[in-house]
Amino acid sequence: MRAAVIDGKAIAADLRAEVNFEAQDLASQGWQPMLISVSVGDAAASEIYVRNQQRQANTAGVEFEARNYPAETSLEQLIGILQGLNADPRVNGVIIQRPLPDHIPVKVLQKAVHPLKDVEGMHPASIGNIVYNDLALGPCTAVAAVEILKTLPLQMQGLNVTVIGHSEIVGKPIAFLLMSLGATVTVCHHMTRSVAMHSRAADAVFVAVGKPGLVTGDMLKPGAALIDIGINRVETPDGPRTVGDADFDSCAEVAGWITPVPGGVGPVTVATLMKNAVLATRLQMDHYRDAYARTDV
Amino acid sequence: MAAKIIDGKAFAATVREKVTGHVTRLKEENGITPGLAVVLVGEDPASQVYVRSKGKQTVEVGMNSYEHKMDVDTSQEDLLAIIDKLNNDPAVHGILVQLPLPGHLNEDLIINSISPAKDVDGFHISNVGLLGTGQKSMVPCTPLGCLMMLRDHHGSLSGLDAVVVGRSNIVGKPMAQLLLGDSCTVTIAHSRTKDLPDVVRRADIVVAAVGRPEMVPGDWIKEGATVIDVGINRIDAPEKGEGKTRLVGDVHYESAAAVAGAITPVPGGVGPMTIACLLANTVTACCRANGLAEPEGLTA
Repeated sequence: MRAAVIDGKAIAADLRAEVNFEAQDLASQGWQPMLISVSVGDAAASEIYVRNQQRQANTAGVEFEARNYPAETSLEQLIGILQGLNADPRVNGVIIQRPLPDHIPVKVLQKAVHPLKDVEGMHPASIGNIVYNDLALGPCTAVAAVEILKTLPLQMQGLNVTVIGHSEIVGKPIAFLLMSLGATVTVCHHMTRSVAMHSRAADAVFVAVGKPGLVTGDMLKPGAALIDIGINRVETPDGPRTVGDADFDSCAEVAGWITPVPGGVGPVTVATLMKNAVLATRLQMDHYRDAYARTDV
Repeated sequence: MAAKIIDGKAFAATVREKVTGHVTRLKEENGITPGLAVVLVGEDPASQVYVRSKGKQTVEVGMNSYEHKMDVDTSQEDLLAIIDKLNNDPAVHGILVQLPLPGHLNEDLIINSISPAKDVDGFHISNVGLLGTGQKSMVPCTPLGCLMMLRDHHGSLSGLDAVVVGRSNIVGKPMAQLLLGDSCTVTIAHSRTKDLPDVVRRADIVVAAVGRPEMVPGDWIKEGATVIDVGINRIDAPEKGEGKTRLVGDVHYESAAAVAGAITPVPGGVGPMTIACLLANTVTACCRANGLAEPEGLTA
């Protein structure tokens, strides 16, 4: 095996330490960062994620409160709840846990969160800012994947990158984040005639499709970085296992760097949520001071 | 092989015809006349020409045109007040603030004060994000025009390799989103791109939007590719006499036309489509504001 395996847990720990420092600084100015998690209906479905976020918030110095609302809560009631959180100065970020009941369209809820409290980076204004190169609050998974690439000794300007998968919350924002860093980005998807032709030309490949084994070693340029965002449960003779979208063994023979699944992008994603929490808190503090606390002396 | 020349003037006329048809229908069936308000601050001669031309075409397709001409030293508060009034005026379906604005005005703030539903230029940050997340939005006029021409020429764009040269907010980036929306494999190339000729040579569709005269020569173009030239550059033309100039695109037309399958000329290619798409966006905004179906053939 030739690729260096990227340690997502270590990157996440560094990031959380940074966030903790920031959070203390904000708290000392009266702005203790605080996240509210909103789940609707069956809390068990999102329990693993919520618990994990809670734990990481604790180590990052971010306050965290999980709220669960009954499955029969109407869309109007939920929007009202979000508006209440938007108006509450103690709350700095809102996480909308999925899955939601069928009668609740997730995009409508995401739009109801104030852009300054949009720690998941899902509000159209947040995505718009990314497209326009203002990289404040971005979708956590996309930002995490790009942050991982930035830890490698690669020059971003002019780097040839192929992104496989053009989802709105992962593939496309990755493309725009990388473009603003000066990379030349190609976005491939299920209609692409030859993904291999594009991936072989790339210095870095991102894959976020949800298909185990989609990327194999022969699709990579030797020495390329491979960032695997897929999380798939597969059955093996040894029982169920979590794997990414890349065939790890063959890719690790060719790549220069590779993220494992689990232990790659996943942990950095949750740490990025905490990073967004302190960023959002700082934005709100600045906004508040601009709007209300500017005094002429 | 000589490339097919994509006649933007003729194509823009067909778009205006479609717009006229939708406007007539809206008047007859719904009793609604779409309205476009254009706000011009100052007396920049080029902007005045654009605004006049927009107003004239708006009336020609049967829509109402509202022009607000304001002094060059108009304050930000006064301009915001006008926009607020237009945002709340049910007869106004589209609002366009002619750019550039005088230096003392904050362009981002002004653009983002337009109601996203009336932002027919598609520059409001929410529209950028809605396009980025594949939701219904107002799409910037120039890339929308390019998309319409590409669809007309190719039928389906699905699976084609497209390269967009230039990553500007008003053309390159939305163009890439639109091409992805039509299932192209999209590469966005720019000033930092290595081996630009090779990248462009892979493409079935090349959209050039960098603003550098004749930067893309014919030997960068794959045989049979479709070339959309968004650039409009004025260069010296001593062959026409002393002090004369002419307009050229970002593509070297003669050499590219010799290899391409189809190509837009400059002038007469993408240019005429832009105002036609502004009219199309106004109809779209009007239909959405009234809860009516999207106007066929006018949207992304």
